[in-house]
Amino acid sequence: MPYLGGEDTVRELRRALSNPNVQSDQLRYRNTILKVIRAMSQGVDVSGLFSDMVKACATVDIVQKKLVYVFLCSYAALNPELSLLVINTLRKDCQDPNPMVRSLALRNMTNLRLPSLMEYVEQPLTAGLRDRAACVRRVAVLGWAKLHNLQPNSEIDAAVVNELYSLLRDPDPVVMVNCLRALEEILKEEGGIAINKPITHHLLNRLKESDVWGQCEVLRILQRYRPQSEDELFDILSLLDASLVSPHPQVMAATLSLFLSLCSGLPAVSLAALERVRGPLLAACGSVSRELRFTALCHIQLLLRSLPGLMGAHYKRFFCGYAEPAYIKQRKMQVLVELVNDDNVTMLLDELKGYCTDVNTDTAQAAISAIGRIGRSYSDRCLEILTGLLALKQEHITSAVVQTMRDLVWVCPQCSDTVCLALEGCEETLQDSQGRQALLWLLGVYGEQVSSAPYTLEVFIDGVRSEVSLGVKMELLTTTMRLFLCRPAETQDMLGRLLHYCIEEEPDMCVRDQALLYYRLLHCGIEETQKVLQGRRSDPSLGVLIGRPSEPISQWACSFNTLEPLRQGTVETDSTISASRCTDASADVPASSIAAPLSLSLSPALSPEEFERLWLQRQVLHSEQEQIQFPAIPHCSPQSLQAAMQLVNIQTLAFTPPHTLPWRVYLYTHTQHAGDSPHITLILGELLYTGEEELKVTLKQQPRDDKALKGFLSILTTVLHTLVTQLVWFIAR
Amino acid sequence: SIKSKTFILLYMITTSTSDVDMAEIDHFMPLLMQHEEEGLLCPVLSHGSVHFMWIKHSNLYLVATTNKNANASLVYSFLYKLVEIVKIQSYTEPPQIRPMSILEEESIQDNFVVVYELLDELMDFGFPQTTDSKILQEYITQEGTKLEVAKSKVPTTVTNAVSWRSEGIKYKKNEVFIDVIESINVLVNANGSVMSSDIVGSIKLKTMLSGMPELRLGLNDRVLFALTGRDKGKTVVMEDVKFHQCVRLSRFESDRTISFIPPDGESELMSYRINTHVKPLIWIESVIEKFSHSRVEIMVKAKGQFKKQSVANNVEVRVPVPSDADSPKFKTSTGNAKYVPEKNLVVWTIKSFPGGKEFLMRAHFGLPSVEKDELEGKPPITVKFEIPYFTVSGIQVRYMKIIEKSGYQALPWVRYITQSGDYQLRTNV
Repeated sequence: MPYLGGEDTVRELRRALSNPNVQSDQLRYRNTILKVIRAMSQGVDVSGLFSDMVKACATVDIVQKKLVYVFLCSYAALNPELSLLVINTLRKDCQDPNPMVRSLALRNMTNLRLPSLMEYVEQPLTAGLRDRAACVRRVAVLGWAKLHNLQPNSEIDAAVVNELYSLLRDPDPVVMVNCLRALEEILKEEGGIAINKPITHHLLNRLKESDVWGQCEVLRILQRYRPQSEDELFDILSLLDASLVSPHPQVMAATLSLFLSLCSGLPAVSLAALERVRGPLLAACGSVSRELRFTALCHIQLLLRSLPGLMGAHYKRFFCGYAEPAYIKQRKMQVLVELVNDDNVTMLLDELKGYCTDVNTDTAQAAISAIGRIGRSYSDRCLEILTGLLALKQEHITSAVVQTMRDLVWVCPQCSDTVCLALEGCEETLQDSQGRQALLWLLGVYGEQVSSAPYTLEVFIDGVRSEVSLGVKMELLTTTMRLFLCRPAETQDMLGRLLHYCIEEEPDMCVRDQALLYYRLLHCGIEETQKVLQGRRSDPSLGVLIGRPSEPISQWACSFNTLEPLRQGTVETDSTISASRCTDASADVPASSIAAPLSLSLSPALSPEEFERLWLQRQVLHSEQEQIQFPAIPHCSPQSLQAAMQLVNIQTLAFTPPHTLPWRVYLYTHTQHAGDSPHITLILGELLYTGEEELKVTLKQQPRDDKALKGFLSILTTVLHTLVTQLVWFIAR
Repeated sequence: SIKSKTFILLYMITTSTSDVDMAEIDHFMPLLMQHEEEGLLCPVLSHGSVHFMWIKHSNLYLVATTNKNANASLVYSFLYKLVEIVKIQSYTEPPQIRPMSILEEESIQDNFVVVYELLDELMDFGFPQTTDSKILQEYITQEGTKLEVAKSKVPTTVTNAVSWRSEGIKYKKNEVFIDVIESINVLVNANGSVMSSDIVGSIKLKTMLSGMPELRLGLNDRVLFALTGRDKGKTVVMEDVKFHQCVRLSRFESDRTISFIPPDGESELMSYRINTHVKPLIWIESVIEKFSHSRVEIMVKAKGQFKKQSVANNVEVRVPVPSDADSPKFKTSTGNAKYVPEKNLVVWTIKSFPGGKEFLMRAHFGLPSVEKDELEGKPPITVKFEIPYFTVSGIQVRYMKIIEKSGYQALPWVRYITQSGDYQLRTNV
């Protein structure tokens, strides 16, 4: 506490406190004490007045008592001996006919937090548990918790614990909830209060009596209970149902948390609960308090991990207000990225585009990278926006755009042409090292396609002496090497200069070692160098398998309704995981298509109207039905299904939303046997899931070709199988 | 703990189970400043294993500290509750003291004893105890006049079954004033399409009734009408309905009856949200043309899209202008326009705006020939207004029945107001 030079003040206050004239005048006495407290809260060290204040404690004036207690509790630890003098007064107050005085005395007795006083406190606390006034019992119950907290190693008095358990049936709801809290503290070593069936049902039946705080406490502690039978579980769930849509977001969240812990073995029930809280959660997102809005957003992000489609229709609720703080805007954008689908992509991108010019540079950059993320599935539209942003020639925007393009091109190599075109000239605007590094990487990997690449590099190399960023220097070396491999004539000279500088003059050891490494590598011959430097490229055929697979609820259920979701900076899509999924999928699919020497093609494209016409023209088409065992398919998001299908040239046309029954997908493709070109057939298909074990596949083909149909079916099965392995937990349960 | 810009105003005396050292709060301010500078401000800041959850209210920071994985939404709601309660308690203060209704550093210093008392009752050992302001009022003994009474009298609500109302209240004239207030939130895109809109409603009571009256409120609630099989007239579908604790929730859940024993004096009986597409009541069309290095020309058209009989009062249309604009010139078809340079706004005020009418405002600003480098955001146009005797949702109080065992006659008065909430229209410039 800052010391504000109050020695004179203290001296004066002491004189006043010990003045008998003041002491006899109740109002003056109280005002003097008020001055002491005022000085205390302004940071003056008034601990020297302790003995005078102890005397002031013996009064009938409640206000004065309260003030003195505030003082005593702050300084008791410094004066344990003198504090003993207070105890007598406090114990006397515990007998006062006024329950307010009794509860005040009891509370402050336990707030002194002095182990030496414990023996004096226990008796009044025991009496307090049986007091006829609820406000005294409330204090007494928590008093035991404080006592135990003060001396955690002391023996637990079984009689007190029993009494606290029996007070769970106290008519006052606050006493009941305080008992839960006290027992949690006292029995911490044993894992907290023991929750059995009678206690659970008692608490649930009285839930409505408590206020919001009490309800949340009860719901939290009940998470420990495991129902003994399925019937009991469902009884509890139906009791909780009203709280699940409680207008108080705190109660709703606590109830959901309890739901999830009770239903950890019943994923379907958990998912249904998540659907139920959608409304209340959305309402919490519109809360007046920005902190509560932020909390709600963070929790929605958790839910989306398991149910990506949960908020799809409500994307507008996540649009940012102009004056909202950056932390909310950034979370909202993270949510928006998750919600994108064919219907809303235009609106959503338009909105995000507006955020890219936000005054807050972090928000602007977050918006740009959000567009990049969406670009993985809607690359053309996003690249158009990103390219447009470069025209603004704003330093932080250009930097973010170039970095975003780098990340996008790695996942979607087919974007490289557009990206390369856009890169021309943006080196003039780039200032920060992150952005320049990204530009260099792009120039290195796609140097052939950017005509001005050597000139850009030359500028960098000429300025290498004054370059401060280590990362840029390292990237520059790699880029120059890569460019040299594809455009040797233009680059040879500058590469020589760069290597010379880095080896002879560069002070940083890392850069020097890297340069030496490249220099020696060049000695091994051009082929070896190529093997090393050009090996690592993303494979264009991998395509996009976007949409994070939905996670099991158990992954996050335990952190729901805590502080944790707020502290996770960003919910990142783990790029390594999605990359490995890409390779898995592509490894499986070509294998099967080779087994059936059949290739699929999307052209000529079929419009939805045409599809519908053909589908209904039954007689012309050959039709066949199959049952496949894939009960989990309807749980995957339309995006991931579509992406996976496109990977093998099957176009999906229409979806029912996930989790609806019956669930349907329509798709089509053209088959062609390898080798003989004339044999082309059109296949239309419908996947139907009505809630049974299997997925019904109806295929219609024109003209009829059984071999091609079989081949198609095996490809379809493989794709679905790959998707299912991502969702394998659904089946496991 | 409560902390001001430079020094700690008040410590919460309560130590909680998480045993955070009081000195930890000293890390809060530097941490806040550092994060603010880096643009990484967040409602949770952490120092080692200690987390600070904070809210800001005028020039005060209210900070909760924990070293556990605490329930964040509960903590924030408690902090807001704290602000609310401390403000309400100001009514008990003698008038010469700066009122607490504006909670800020100065008013805390004037009222710190009350704040101490409140904190002590609100929370014990880190656990919220009583946060009902009516009950709290009885615990607070600050006023000198209460002193003699407090010695012998137990607050009735401490032992009472109806904790929010004391017995023995007497009025000469028994009256209830019901205010139905609806705020409309709108976000309109630059191209004129309504991105989102909703209505937040609140029913407030000022109860001046003797004894323990039983009240029943009837609304044109669609669910209720469907239950009773009535379907004449306009009905309203309410969402996220929240009630004061006095309302018997079980009755509402079973037959949608809103029955209660009201708290004495002012209280909010219920709040609700209606998530429908509402036509923006005041429609704004704007053309803002920026000629770099020379001038900005602004044309704003405001149209009242509500019934001709109604009138919007105190309408304020706030139009953003570039921060380097100068030499303003205005022309309005009604009301007057004012330039507020410190907020970079033109505020066009119209005292009374009848429904169906259309008004125009033109503004002209000069721009310096040397342009500013920094990027400026695109702040939206915001509108403030108030329309009395009208609810945008069409909600109506159909009846208010008042029954007291002494059988007195009481009069209910109803008043409707629609006002602007978060009302934003984006612009192109």
